[in-house]
Amino acid sequence: MTITTLEALLRLESVTKKYGPNTVLDDVSLAIGRGEVVGLLGDNGAGKSTLVKIMSGVVPMTSGAYYWQGAQLTHISRPETERRGVETIFQDSALVPSMSITRNIFAGRELTNRLGFLKLKKMDAITSEILDTVVHIEGIKSARQLVGSLSGGQAQAVAIARAVHFKRSLLILDEPTSALAVRATEALLGYLVALKAEGVTSVLVTHNLHPAYRVCDRHIVLNHGRMILDVYREDTSVEELTAAVVEGADGVRRYRQGKPFS
Amino acid sequence: MKTKKEAAPTPEVSSTRLDMDEPTVTRRRLADSRPTTAAGRLKESLYYMRGRGALEISIIYLLILIGFSITSLVNPSFPFLTHDNLSGVISQNVPVLAILAIGAGVLMIAGEFDLSIGASIGLSAIVFIRVANAQNWILALIAAIATAMAVHLINGCIVVFTRIPSFIATLGMSFFWTGASIKVNGLTPAVLYTFGHGTGVNIFAGNHGYFRSQLLWLIGIGVVAWFFLHRHRLGNKVYAVGGNAAAAKAVSIKPNVVKLQSFAILGFMVGIAAILIAVRTADMQPGTTGDYTLLAIAAAVVGGCSLTGGRGSIFGMIIGAALILTIENGLILGRAPGFYVQLFLGLCIVVAAIFNKFMEGKAT
Repeated sequence: MTITTLEALLRLESVTKKYGPNTVLDDVSLAIGRGEVVGLLGDNGAGKSTLVKIMSGVVPMTSGAYYWQGAQLTHISRPETERRGVETIFQDSALVPSMSITRNIFAGRELTNRLGFLKLKKMDAITSEILDTVVHIEGIKSARQLVGSLSGGQAQAVAIARAVHFKRSLLILDEPTSALAVRATEALLGYLVALKAEGVTSVLVTHNLHPAYRVCDRHIVLNHGRMILDVYREDTSVEELTAAVVEGADGVRRYRQGKPFS
Repeated sequence: MKTKKEAAPTPEVSSTRLDMDEPTVTRRRLADSRPTTAAGRLKESLYYMRGRGALEISIIYLLILIGFSITSLVNPSFPFLTHDNLSGVISQNVPVLAILAIGAGVLMIAGEFDLSIGASIGLSAIVFIRVANAQNWILALIAAIATAMAVHLINGCIVVFTRIPSFIATLGMSFFWTGASIKVNGLTPAVLYTFGHGTGVNIFAGNHGYFRSQLLWLIGIGVVAWFFLHRHRLGNKVYAVGGNAAAAKAVSIKPNVVKLQSFAILGFMVGIAAILIAVRTADMQPGTTGDYTLLAIAAAVVGGCSLTGGRGSIFGMIIGAALILTIENGLILGRAPGFYVQLFLGLCIVVAAIFNKFMEGKAT
């Protein structure tokens, strides 16, 4: 593995997660390097979402260790990971639909005066600025528009704009493209590539292989809670990843022996 | 298999980048498209007020007020504009319900509600009267507000920590708190003998011609509540928690803390309302204030609060309370028989709720 402990932004070691008698994640170890775009692939129920929740600190792990820039986090909680710059964009639930774009972008990190009253004009101006420069979203009329009136792609872009504005170091996107039209998907993946140039690390969680394959530097495949593949794009193919997602470790073995699909 | 090669960007990737750069050449920048004239800004503000609860219901309320006023001017047997009616009904009953609606509404925006408002008004008013009789009136004010806040914080803890739906938890607790007020006081009314030698009465229920002191309390509380809900980070958190608790959690807002704060705000409002009621009527019988619960919630819903949380405004809650009581007043002045009053009132509340639901979809 070329990513050494020191280089890794986030490293998980032997993470196991059990919900009652069910083992959802079984001894998963992985590292995310700074500036990488990593694809986290797997079928429904493979444990992707649980892994994302553990990485973002909203769900505790049953056993295992969490390292951030080489230092172990002992008390893993959402405020702790947020302070370090982990931003998770959960599908459909990253934003509050009944609030304006500005209020969403600044939710929990409002610009206020000393008494805690909001500086709305300043926040509106900043929001307009980031919507213009960071993500080029078409069809948004004003920063005061409700997020509920945006399309799925526009809302995702707003969530990404927020992460970029607050200089988040690790962006985790949970199934960002599953509800999007083809054009919106292209635009979203374009943002990731552009952000990579600015040094933002991102993890793209998806079961939709084809768009992920093009933008991710590295792919990690989960199957029934186990990590079965961790491979750079240059060393794999859509076909191999498909075999891994669909059939697990056996599929990969068969594929490498030249017998894809039993 | 894990060795990283010198990765040259693949053609697909660079073409994606081209796609997203293209439209920026022609598109209008948001920062430049803000209106520059005062009229333009007003138009934009009105546009973004649409469907957020307060604007449409305010227009309807204004129309009803104009209608009642004209009827009253033309037809003297409909005494809406008289001194007694404006002072006795509008500025005596409306502020109490509006203050309760603000409490109930803020809690609804946070995504919960409390069905023990009526019970806690009774308990808080009884505590107020007994402390005022036994000690002094300053202590009584503090005791009344503390009682109501404690009641709703206990309700809040039950809802937040056990995750029982607030409907059943607070419904059960409403019986408990009614029982508690009977335990404290017995079934006979608690009577307020003296209250600050008249000064207290003046502050909380003074008659100033066309309006009463309660109206000043509503204005004061309304302005403070508006600033905190719409212009303070506390309010932003309340909307975020009610609108999407998962999203709020992801930005390190603690939903439980915000919900408990909202329960405490409701408690404060109930305490004030209980004092206003107790000073005006000078007595309180346990178990007689149950109607306030659903009236306050109805006022909040009429004023544009959503039962599922995340939507509503202070102005809307006040207008909602005013609308309900003004319609009731109009029905009584129009000599509708007693049972018709309830019939029309119920109909108005349901129609207003449907109307709000419809307007919600128009929000941008």
